[in-house]
Amino acid sequence: MAERYDLVIVGGGPAGQAAALALEGNGLAIGVIDEQLRPGGQILRQPPREFSVASWMTGKVYAPLLKQLRQFEAATGIDWLGGRSVLGLAPDAGHGFALTVSGRDGVETIRASRVLLATGCQDLAVPLPGWTLPGVYTAGGIQAFVKSQQIVPGNRIVMAGTHPLQLLIAAQIVASGGTVAAVLFAQKRRTMMRQLAGHALKAAREASALLPAGAAMALLQRHRVPVRYGESPVAILGKDRVESLRSTEREIACDAIGLCYGFVPQSALPRMAGADMIAGSRAGGWSTECDAWFRTSVAGLYAAGETTGVAGAAAARTAGTIAGTGIAIDFGLVSEEEATSRVSHARSERARHLEFADLLDTIADPSGHFPRIEAETIVCRCEDVPSATITPLLDGRSANAVKLASRCGMGLCQGRNCEPTLLRLLAGSGRTDEDNGFTARFPARPVMLGDLAAPK
Amino acid sequence: MRIERRVERQAPFSIIVEGETLPAYPGETIAAVLIERSPTIGRTASGAARGMFCNMGTCSLCMVTLLPEGRRVRACLTPAEPGLEIGLG
Repeated sequence: MAERYDLVIVGGGPAGQAAALALEGNGLAIGVIDEQLRPGGQILRQPPREFSVASWMTGKVYAPLLKQLRQFEAATGIDWLGGRSVLGLAPDAGHGFALTVSGRDGVETIRASRVLLATGCQDLAVPLPGWTLPGVYTAGGIQAFVKSQQIVPGNRIVMAGTHPLQLLIAAQIVASGGTVAAVLFAQKRRTMMRQLAGHALKAAREASALLPAGAAMALLQRHRVPVRYGESPVAILGKDRVESLRSTEREIACDAIGLCYGFVPQSALPRMAGADMIAGSRAGGWSTECDAWFRTSVAGLYAAGETTGVAGAAAARTAGTIAGTGIAIDFGLVSEEEATSRVSHARSERARHLEFADLLDTIADPSGHFPRIEAETIVCRCEDVPSATITPLLDGRSANAVKLASRCGMGLCQGRNCEPTLLRLLAGSGRTDEDNGFTARFPARPVMLGDLAAPK
Repeated sequence: MRIERRVERQAPFSIIVEGETLPAYPGETIAAVLIERSPTIGRTASGAARGMFCNMGTCSLCMVTLLPEGRRVRACLTPAEPGLEIGLG
């Protein structure tokens, strides 16, 4: 690992890989930091090297992503800095950025002239009564156990929410030998079908992206897994762990639940760096605002992939290619004219992927489908703050002020889980002016104070 | 439930969680070992059981303590190692 890089890319998923590959061979010193030990991002979260997994991620839609991943792994001249978390980034005295990075053995500083944030997205955390019981996971969390650690985290799993991804996850669980008790969509089937039909042209052109959902449905039918529409979770029941889910229609015995209401951009680092942000998707959150080359409002700082708006892995990959090429312009390695021609294919591909993403976003829209929160329902899991503590504070004050008064958002996750909920509560209480949410604070990930005081 | 279809693991080793010896396979995260034991990995100050949530390093609800050094780590990002001793809560 070098102490100083020309470019540090944060995130080794489709966008980060594509950007690194677009710049490879230019003589730049490039480091790619990721919290996982192996590259891939969440979409291709790889099993550990010590495992041997036959026919891993063989679906057709994954093929271009897998091909890029293997190219990235084979590339020389790119430093892979896995197993590390970026706690913060700040302007370096005079030039570029200093990134504070934590790893297994402590904290170090990595300097870079330019930084590309390709940090991806996270599941939208959706509170409901009982959601803090052990056995309730984000849908993405369950999928990552199946894909990477090769574990099904329960004997009888219910998937519930609004995002069609839950069909794929349920199918992956069943294909792995696990049992899915039910898949519940809060929205009505005819509404989803109408939205699909309304976008027929777009859908037809992106049919390959819809095929996995069709194949998943077929597999679930063969295994007699009920897929129900217009059925929402109302409460999760159990003494010390999940024992059942009560929906608007019935009670379903289960020992694990995956909540699947969509995804929001990872936004801690761009917000900490002071980059301009815009409201995220229908699911909420904040996207990093960028120009056509994925430059943020902060000089030398770029963002690509889901952190600029959740649109799926294929779109993220095209964004990475464009961002990497744009960074080449800014390093003086290529003329804007040459760069424009290099990315013309990526741009047209991207436009197509964004159309499909918009369709998916419409179908998966969780607004209007959030479960009802009771007075004792925990809103902030880190600090154990129930909605009853927050409700009296919804008097027109800001998210930051509610945080100070209630501790909601003060925990280890830095408000990543509770901020969208709190902003919905604020909006629902009649606050009309826009709230920019919590002020992003260092560190973006938890760290031992002793490590900060005595860096490596 | 560890998936066995199409998966080959190497010979397991042991780690200690709250004094209990558990098998772990090379490459497994601490989270994977814990979840095979129980979905509960700690309790709040008020005594309510808590589990993991995001399994991707974002929610920090799976913090455990590596003993005896006392380092706090996210179980979902940290591989298990032979002889590792872990404290919960």
